[in-house]
Amino acid sequence: MARQRSLSTALAIAMLVVLSACGGGDDPLADEGGDTGSSTESKGSLVLGGQDFTEMQIMASIYEQLLEDAGYTVRTQLVSTRKVYLKELQKGSIDIVPEYAGSITDELNIAANGPNAEQVSSNDIDETMQALRDLLEPDGLTALEPAEATDQNAFATTTDFAEENDLTTLTDLGEMGEPITLAASEDCSSRPDCAIGLKNVYDIEIEDILPLGFGTPQTKDSVTSGESQLGLVGTSDGSLEQLGLVILEDDKGLQVSQNLVPVVSQQVVEQNPDVADTLNGLSEELTTEDLAEMNAAVDLDRQRPEDVAQQFLEEKGLI
Amino acid sequence: MDFSAVWDYLAEGANWSGSQGMGAYLVQQLLLTVTSVVAAALIGLPVACWLGHIGRGGALAINISNVGRAVPTFAVLVLLSLGPLGVGELGPYGRAGLATLVALLLFALPPIVTNAYVGLREVDREIVDAARGMGMRGGQLFRSVELPLAMPLVVSGLRLAVVQVWATATIAALVAGPGLGNVVTEGFASGNTAQVVAGALLIAVVAVALELAMAVVEKAAAPVPATRTRIGPEPRPETPASRT
Amino acid sequence: MILALPRGGSHASTLAALPGIDTSSDCYNFVNNSWFCPAYLTDRRAELLAATQEHIWITVVSVLVGALVAYPLALLARRSPAVSAVVLGGSTILYTIPSLAMFSLMLIPPLPGISPWSVVIGLALYTLTILVRNMVAGLEAVPEEVRDAARGLGYGRLKLLLRIETPLAMPVIIAGLRVATVSTVALLTVGSILGYGGLGNLLRLGVQSDFRAQVLTASVLCVALAVAFDLILLGLQRLALPWQRG
Repeated sequence: MARQRSLSTALAIAMLVVLSACGGGDDPLADEGGDTGSSTESKGSLVLGGQDFTEMQIMASIYEQLLEDAGYTVRTQLVSTRKVYLKELQKGSIDIVPEYAGSITDELNIAANGPNAEQVSSNDIDETMQALRDLLEPDGLTALEPAEATDQNAFATTTDFAEENDLTTLTDLGEMGEPITLAASEDCSSRPDCAIGLKNVYDIEIEDILPLGFGTPQTKDSVTSGESQLGLVGTSDGSLEQLGLVILEDDKGLQVSQNLVPVVSQQVVEQNPDVADTLNGLSEELTTEDLAEMNAAVDLDRQRPEDVAQQFLEEKGLI
Repeated sequence: MDFSAVWDYLAEGANWSGSQGMGAYLVQQLLLTVTSVVAAALIGLPVACWLGHIGRGGALAINISNVGRAVPTFAVLVLLSLGPLGVGELGPYGRAGLATLVALLLFALPPIVTNAYVGLREVDREIVDAARGMGMRGGQLFRSVELPLAMPLVVSGLRLAVVQVWATATIAALVAGPGLGNVVTEGFASGNTAQVVAGALLIAVVAVALELAMAVVEKAAAPVPATRTRIGPEPRPETPASRT
Repeated sequence: MILALPRGGSHASTLAALPGIDTSSDCYNFVNNSWFCPAYLTDRRAELLAATQEHIWITVVSVLVGALVAYPLALLARRSPAVSAVVLGGSTILYTIPSLAMFSLMLIPPLPGISPWSVVIGLALYTLTILVRNMVAGLEAVPEEVRDAARGLGYGRLKLLLRIETPLAMPVIIAGLRVATVSTVALLTVGSILGYGGLGNLLRLGVQSDFRAQVLTASVLCVALAVAFDLILLGLQRLALPWQRG
C-alpha cells in the first residue's frame, strides 16, 4: 500500500509539473510580443530577428552585443528567409531586425501592393529610405539611419566560365542564350531581384534553381564545382576571388541600394531613445570593407560570428 | 488561412509541370520510396528470416534496428551529403539522390527486420514440430511452413516501411535534395502558406493511399484470410514511431 | 566530393595572410574541413552546450505535454469504441503530415509562429499516436479481478484509476514514453526550419556552410541524447516498478 501511495503521489506531482509546464507554455504564446513591445522600463528586453546566413548572423550579433552593452536583455531569432519573419515583425512580436534597405522595401511593397506593384526602391539610398519608412509606418515600424556599408545582391560565375564565354555582364550571359542552373536563396523564384528579374530584365533562361542559400558556402561550392553556372552572392563577400569566382556586372541596374539599416518598432524607439542612438552610432562606423573582412573570417576561417562581431565592436570602440 | 488559395494552387497546371513542379517531385519521391524500401527488403529480409529460422541473434538484430530509431534521418542525410556520397544528380532521383536513397534505406530497415524476425519467431512451435515430424527440414520447413505463416507480419513491416519512408523522404529538401519536401520548403521560404498546405496535403493524401494499397497487399498475403490461427499472444504491432 | 576547390597547404597560407584571420581553427576551417577535430569541440563548447540544452528542454516539455494530453484522451477512448476509433484514427492521420510541413504550418495564426512552442506543439502532437495507444493498452490489460477486488475494498472510480489502474499500466505507459521520447529527439532536428531545432540548428547551418566537424558532432550528440533518455526512462521504470525486475 505504501508503495502505491508513493506512486500515486509521484504521479500527481508529475501531472502538476506537466500542468504548470503547459500553463507556462500558454502565456509566452500570448505575450511574447506584447511584453517586449510595451515594456515601460527604460531597460527592458528586446526581440531581435533576422536571417541566418553569415552576414546577417554577424549583424544580428553586433546588434545584440551593442544593445546588451546598453543594458537591454536581448533574445535573438534567426530564420532562413525574410518572408518567414516579416509577419512576426509586422505584428510586433519581433522588435528589431538588421536589414538591407532595398530588399526590405521591395518585400514590403509587394506585401502591401501586390506582386505587380511599381518598384519604389532605387539606386538612390535617400529615395529608398523615404519609401521604406512610408511602407513601415502602418505597421508601427520605422527605419533608423542607413550605414555606408552595402551588400548588393550579385550573381557570380567561375572566372573560367566567364573567360571561356567572354562574359563580363549579366547582359552578356543573357545574350549567350543558354539555359543555366542558378544556386540562390530559397525564395529566389518569387523575387524580382532574383529569378524574376534575371528572366525579365536580362532574358536569362533559368533551367533550375537550387535552393542553397544567399551567398552560402554551399551556393559557392555549387558554382565552383560546375553544378550550377550562376550563384547569388553578396558584393561584400570576402571570399569570391579566392574561390575563383567573379561577379557579372548588373549593367541594367536590376539591383537597388542595399545599405545596411536597422528596422525597429516605433514604440520601442520612442520608449527607449538610446536604442536608436546606439544603432545609429553603429551605422556611422560600419563600412563595406568591414563586412567583407568579417564575412571572410566566418566563412573561411570559421570563426564564430559572435567573436567576429565582438572583435569589430571593440576595434571601433563601440563597446 | 484561406483554403480556396490552397485549392487554386493545386488546380494550377503550371505548379505541376516542369522540373520544379509538383509532378516531377511526386515522381521523384515515389521512385525514392519504392527503391529504398525494395533495397532495404533485399538486404533486411534474408537476414531477418535466417535469424528467425535458426532462432538466434534476433535480439541483437532488433536492438541494432532500434538504435536506428534514435538516429535522426536528417542527421544521416546531412552526413552523407557532406561526405563521400555528395549531392550530385542521380538520374531520375535528382540532386543528392544517392545520399537520400541510402538514408531512407537505413531508415526502412528497422520495421522490416523487426517484423520479419518477430513473425518467424511467433510461428506456432507446435506447427513447426508437426512439420518436422512429417520429415520437413531446413529450407523446406522455412518455405512451406514458417514463411507463409509469418507472411502477414513480414508484409506489415513492409507497409510500415513504405509509409514511414514516404513521409520522411520530404526532408531531403533540407539538403536541397529531391522530392515533394521542396514544395513545402519553397512555400515556407516565400511566405506562401497556401503552397505549404498544398504540399502537405499532397504528401498526406499519397501517404494514406500508400497505406491503403499496402493494406490490400497485406490482406492478400494472409494464409488464412481474415482469421488468425495462431495460438498464443498476439505480437504487438510495431507502432509507427520512427520518423523524421 | 562537393568542393572542386583546391584544398591544402598553399590555400591555407593565403587564408592566414588575410587580415583578421588567425589559424587557430586550422583543422575545421573551410579549406581543411576535417570530420574529427578536437579544436572544434573546445572552440565551440558553449554553442554545443546551448544547442544540447535546447534539445533537452524541448524534448522533455514536448513529451510531458504529449503525455498530459494523451492521458485524458486514453480515458475517453476507453469509454466507447466510437471515441476510440476517432481518437486513434485522428492521431494516425496526424502522423501522415510530414514534420517539415507540420512545423511550417505553425506560421499560420493563431499558432505561435517563430517560437519554441511551435516546435513543442508539433512534437507533442506526434507523440499522441504512440502514447494514447500504449495508455489504452496498458489500462485495458489490468485484470478485471484486480478491479473487482479494489471496488470491494471501497475504491471509488477516481481512486481506482489513480491508485490501481494507472500504476499497473505503468510498464506499458513507460514503454510508450521511451519510444515517444527517442523519436522526439530525432524529430526535433527538423524544428531547425523555425530556428528552434536544438542540435538540428547546427545540422542545418552546418550543411549550409559545408561544415563537417559541426555536422558530425551534432549527429553524435543527438544519438547520445536519445540513448541517454532511453536509459533514464528504463531506469525510472525499474525504480518505480521493482516487481518488474528479473
